[in-house]
Amino acid sequence: MRKLSLLVCSLLMLALVACGGNSNELPTLPDGPGGTTGGDAPPATTASIMGKISFEGEVPKPARIQTSADPNCKKELTSEETKVSDGGLENVIIYVSGGDGVAGKSYAPPSTPVEIDQVDCHYIPHALVIQVGQELAVRNGDMTLHNIHTLGEANPTWNVGQAAQNMVNKHIFEKPEVLLPVKCDVHGWMRAFIAVLTNPFGTVSTQGGKYELKLPAGKFEITAIHEKYGKQTTMVEVKDNDHTTIDFKFKASDAKSGN
Amino acid sequence: MSRSVHVADSLHEEGENIGLHRFALFTACCTALLIFVGGLVTSTESGLSVPDWPTTYGWNMFAFPVSKWVGGIFYEHSHRLVASFVGFLTLILAFWTWVTEKRQWVRMLAVAALGTVMAQGILGGLTVMLLLPTAISMAHACLAQTFFCLVIAITLFTSPQWKNGLPVAHPAVNSVSSVTLPALCAMTTAAIYTQLLLGALMRHTDSGLAIRDFPLSFGRIIPPFMSSHIAIHFSHRVGALIVSAMIVWTFLRIRSAYQEYTLLRRPATVMFSLLWLQLALGASTVWSSKAVLITTAHVVTGALVLGTSVLLTLRAWTMVPSKEAARVPSWR
Repeated sequence: MRKLSLLVCSLLMLALVACGGNSNELPTLPDGPGGTTGGDAPPATTASIMGKISFEGEVPKPARIQTSADPNCKKELTSEETKVSDGGLENVIIYVSGGDGVAGKSYAPPSTPVEIDQVDCHYIPHALVIQVGQELAVRNGDMTLHNIHTLGEANPTWNVGQAAQNMVNKHIFEKPEVLLPVKCDVHGWMRAFIAVLTNPFGTVSTQGGKYELKLPAGKFEITAIHEKYGKQTTMVEVKDNDHTTIDFKFKASDAKSGN
Repeated sequence: MSRSVHVADSLHEEGENIGLHRFALFTACCTALLIFVGGLVTSTESGLSVPDWPTTYGWNMFAFPVSKWVGGIFYEHSHRLVASFVGFLTLILAFWTWVTEKRQWVRMLAVAALGTVMAQGILGGLTVMLLLPTAISMAHACLAQTFFCLVIAITLFTSPQWKNGLPVAHPAVNSVSSVTLPALCAMTTAAIYTQLLLGALMRHTDSGLAIRDFPLSFGRIIPPFMSSHIAIHFSHRVGALIVSAMIVWTFLRIRSAYQEYTLLRRPATVMFSLLWLQLALGASTVWSSKAVLITTAHVVTGALVLGTSVLLTLRAWTMVPSKEAARVPSWR
């Protein structure tokens, strides 16, 4: 029995030593690759389309999120799935999905990264636009741990942990994908949605469902997409200095049922 | 003098062996707990909340501060720790069995259990590092059940009852069947294991709510197979029917032909009772839209049904003489 005890203790010590790094050592940041080059510089955006994403039907009451799983998440949160203000739907991504204006063209990704912050255990912003090859920088603004987990189909899954406040991890999406969800498995309620585009012409509706999308002159297919209410597409032709109004209307009845 | 030494040795050996049996039983209980905790990880979708392995956010897993066990990390990290504990218990079990057990095949079984738990640990790491691929996650879930069965078998084989020899069981005079009890028990175990495979497939392909109504499927007996998710989900329901039939058959067979043998009757009754609990939990899983505790209880009860069936099968194979075979009906 004494030999057995000795063996057990030795194995336990071995496991403690071998199974991991220094407890005080912060994980190193996996530096993502820099923005890729290639493609044309984006043309001057001399025109624009603007408008309102209106919401028709009964607005679902924002569900209160139960955040007690992490005492560091102190702020009261509500679901951002359907955010309606002044009759307008927020977090709708409006982007150029085709048309002669972008056909056969490739655009160099901007050198500045698109940023997501994690504050009070939710993503800011909730919906965003990025270009293929452009850097995404995700910051942990919280005093708790997060993991960033992308759920792409065209792009490989990216899952990385952030153990300390102010850590920033960078990533580049190599393929276009709309919409690409991002989640945190530590805080199951955290969700963001990214539109990875091949061109720089995309924006997100804000307060009152308003948006403005700057464009060069040309003919474009414009798509408005929402994580829950699906997408709508229209064609538009703009000339230099045109400021065209295009409104979209999403209906409560278009809601996709969750699993 | 030599006689007293011999008696003392025998008593010492017997004491150690009872200790080994109890330790194996403890390991089996911890394994059931581990299956529950592992089930919680999937039910809460926390499998990737700790992106690194075997470290935890860069820390040695055993030194990861308790204050950081928040949200999904709590489930995933707890699973890793309980798994490490069970792995450690298995190491002791294998060593203890190897040193004290005289039967070579029991020693080999303990080594096999150690190999299985090590493979299971590696599979667990792969599920994290490869981002939960269905095949690996399924293999991880199924190997857990296999390991549980191995530990139950070791517990049974090291029991004094088994070592002293189980009684020979003869069927009641008026019982007739074309299938022997050992064969029937083995078929039931195989059916339960297959059902657990289907359950794992359903969980890891996110098909658990592919059919949202129960007992009907989209208001029909047979649903429209519009997607693979529906097919997987429905196959699990069909599997439940088959398993139920097998368990009821086994239970009734033992009740009618082996009623007086407690060692057969008890596990059969336990398995039969667990079946109803399991069916209720399965239905509640759908009705509650996969409530975490209900879904996880369904997983662990499935493991208990399998474990009981393995125990019953091993006893039946040992207790029922091969010549009992079938009392073939006269019409055959």
